[in-house]
Amino acid sequence: MMTELDIMAGVQELRLKFPGEESFVFKDLSFSVRRGEKVLLLGPSGCGKSTLLQVLSGIMPELVEVPMKCKERIVPKSRGVLFQDPDTQFCMPYVDEELAFVLENLCVPREEMEPRMRQALEQVGLSFNQLHIPIQSLSQGMKQRLALASVLLADPEVLFLDEPSALLDPEGRKQIWEAIHSIADQRTMVIVEHRIEEMLGLVDSVVLFGPEGQVLGQASPGRLFSAYREELGRFGIWYPGVWEVFFKSHSGQLLLDNQMEDISGLSLEPLIELQQFRGFRQRTTVIEVEQAEVYPGDFIVITGPNGAGKSSLLLSLMGLLPAEGVYRLRGKDMHAAKSGKRRTEQAAQQIGFVFQNPEMQFVADQVSEEIAFSLYEEGYAREDISSLVRQSLRQFGLEGLEHRHPYQLSLGQKRRLSVAGSIVLDKALLLLDEPTFGQDAVNTFAILSLCEELRRRGMAIVMVTHEEKLSDTIATLEWKVADGRLVSTKLTKRGQEMAFKRRVGNRRVAGHE
Amino acid sequence: MNDFLIPQHVNSFHRANPVAKLLCMILLFMLTLFTHRLDFVFYQMACFLLLLLLFSGHRFWKISLIILPFLLVFIASSSTMILFGKGDTVWWKWGLIQISQESFYRGIHIGFKSVTFAMEGLLFVLTTPSVALFYALMQKAKLPPKYAYSFMASIRLLPMVWEELLIRRNALRIRGVRSLRGGMKWLGILKLYMVPLLAQGIRRAHRVAVAMETKAFDGQGERSYYYPSEYSKSDIWVILLLSAAVAAALLMSILLPPFGITDVRYR
Repeated sequence: MMTELDIMAGVQELRLKFPGEESFVFKDLSFSVRRGEKVLLLGPSGCGKSTLLQVLSGIMPELVEVPMKCKERIVPKSRGVLFQDPDTQFCMPYVDEELAFVLENLCVPREEMEPRMRQALEQVGLSFNQLHIPIQSLSQGMKQRLALASVLLADPEVLFLDEPSALLDPEGRKQIWEAIHSIADQRTMVIVEHRIEEMLGLVDSVVLFGPEGQVLGQASPGRLFSAYREELGRFGIWYPGVWEVFFKSHSGQLLLDNQMEDISGLSLEPLIELQQFRGFRQRTTVIEVEQAEVYPGDFIVITGPNGAGKSSLLLSLMGLLPAEGVYRLRGKDMHAAKSGKRRTEQAAQQIGFVFQNPEMQFVADQVSEEIAFSLYEEGYAREDISSLVRQSLRQFGLEGLEHRHPYQLSLGQKRRLSVAGSIVLDKALLLLDEPTFGQDAVNTFAILSLCEELRRRGMAIVMVTHEEKLSDTIATLEWKVADGRLVSTKLTKRGQEMAFKRRVGNRRVAGHE
Repeated sequence: MNDFLIPQHVNSFHRANPVAKLLCMILLFMLTLFTHRLDFVFYQMACFLLLLLLFSGHRFWKISLIILPFLLVFIASSSTMILFGKGDTVWWKWGLIQISQESFYRGIHIGFKSVTFAMEGLLFVLTTPSVALFYALMQKAKLPPKYAYSFMASIRLLPMVWEELLIRRNALRIRGVRSLRGGMKWLGILKLYMVPLLAQGIRRAHRVAVAMETKAFDGQGERSYYYPSEYSKSDIWVILLLSAAVAAALLMSILLPPFGITDVRYR
């Protein structure tokens, strides 16, 4: 019974099922949060943590109808919800208008609005001289803090945070958690999040869910992480030290094993050569490369702050942005092509490209068709296609899903399918735009393993990423981009080790350090 | 894109209450719709073009850029009537096509009318930010907040859809979607674009709606307003200016009629 006075939110014997699904998300789940408690809900993707948060915060079934039943439910009267996506929490174009929207809902008189807006912004560490600023001009991290400020305007006792930092870069992630820390005092919090490094000092207790929506255990963070280490790893949760554990594991060791390298067949010719290369958007230079090369077997990570030009670099390599300077792809001058369209066609023959949002590149209604698409376009024979598709399904762990619609896959499966579709015709290079973004640990490691496997077969991998660990571990080169310039191309530790085995590497060590 | 529609300088037209302006515009639309005098419509067009150039607050080249497509509207709307309309004084005939004096004047009459509509509409749109319009509608015209905010929220989503359209175009170029040929090509391309954009759009709209409702927005009931919407002297100025424009058009059509046709309707 939830008769205790200080229970702020809770359910008893919750049963919930999504329409059309076979199994229950929850079967007789009981859960409650006491006043002032800060609870983190952890579990594998799809275990129902977000669903529980929505039930507790009164989103389900009041705003989003789902069939559910429970013996008792306490939804806090004074509550606020911070969601994952910084772009879909606002309804107004300007900062002040958005904050005013909340105050208008609360019938706050006009004169009191501005002081309250400023106070809320200050609480989350945002300060603007004047508040009439387009929301679009803010960085993602600032947007998320603005969303938190708009939640704080109502001064909620209970805060529900639904993966508030999952779609932010490391800088934004740091800022939003600092803001949450600073307003945590006195408040009750229910948090769902995959990445938990930043919130360790914040939460009092962690609830670990199993894949079937059952509670496996609840304890303080320290105790839970040591007691359930194996489960955390299996569920793909970003607990502190997960990278180290992964690279010590068998599959992680295999990943970094330089002995596995077969360099005998590797060409010493560069795949890509760039000199005085510049890419443009609306006639302004957005990326400038003095000199850079990509060789077979390279694993390059492109790092740098948001908006520095990382994605522009990838797009201009694909011929999707107008560019000038020297760009040779396997020795062929790319700027000899007259039209941008022709350039993209030529680039696409050698380079596979994986977009940040996999859905944007799907072209077929079925997983198998999606993989087969490029093969049909190239006029392969039917038997060859089906055998290649089967081989690719196996390689990317998509067996048994061939008749699904690509949109019905899980996040990790979608990502693997997007890679499968773009490299089914053998490509010399694979460019990926933040492929591990918003993915859980298991999927991140799966993508990295895939890329490494492709690299060992002689493909070059070029990956835009915010994942700082990659340059210390799996990458062989790190390209740093800042203010629209490629400022350094440096061999990583792993790259240097490999360079001893490859003359081509040595040449580059001399040229680029 | 958003910057493009921010006016260079503001005047009474921008300061006037959008609801008052909207009412004026509706009256002007009606007037234009029921004008059968070719000369009057012609001068209406001229006067509103002048108002647009003088009072929209935008630079000349910008207005010209926006107006240019209306030349097409003029040609499109007038040509059908010119070529196929009825008339007794036949100038030229070839098969089904017959240009008569009556059909020609009726044709350019329709052309002038549609351009006049466009000028009036542009005068409103270029001087009224959407947020101000919806705030005024909520406060002065009792528009339920749920409609006002659903419009304002969806306007915010438009640039995201545009960006996604560009990404999708790039993705399709890279995937090399070439095999779509023949009669159903357009349908196939439409589907390739619509499915991901709609899927994203629906998800996004749903998320925005949930976020709005968790911020205690219920779509009706009491609320305060950040931007108060009041009537002011500017409204009177706008009404006077618009009336003056209509009066000038009427006067000119009587004093200096370029066509001299009082009623273009065919009897």
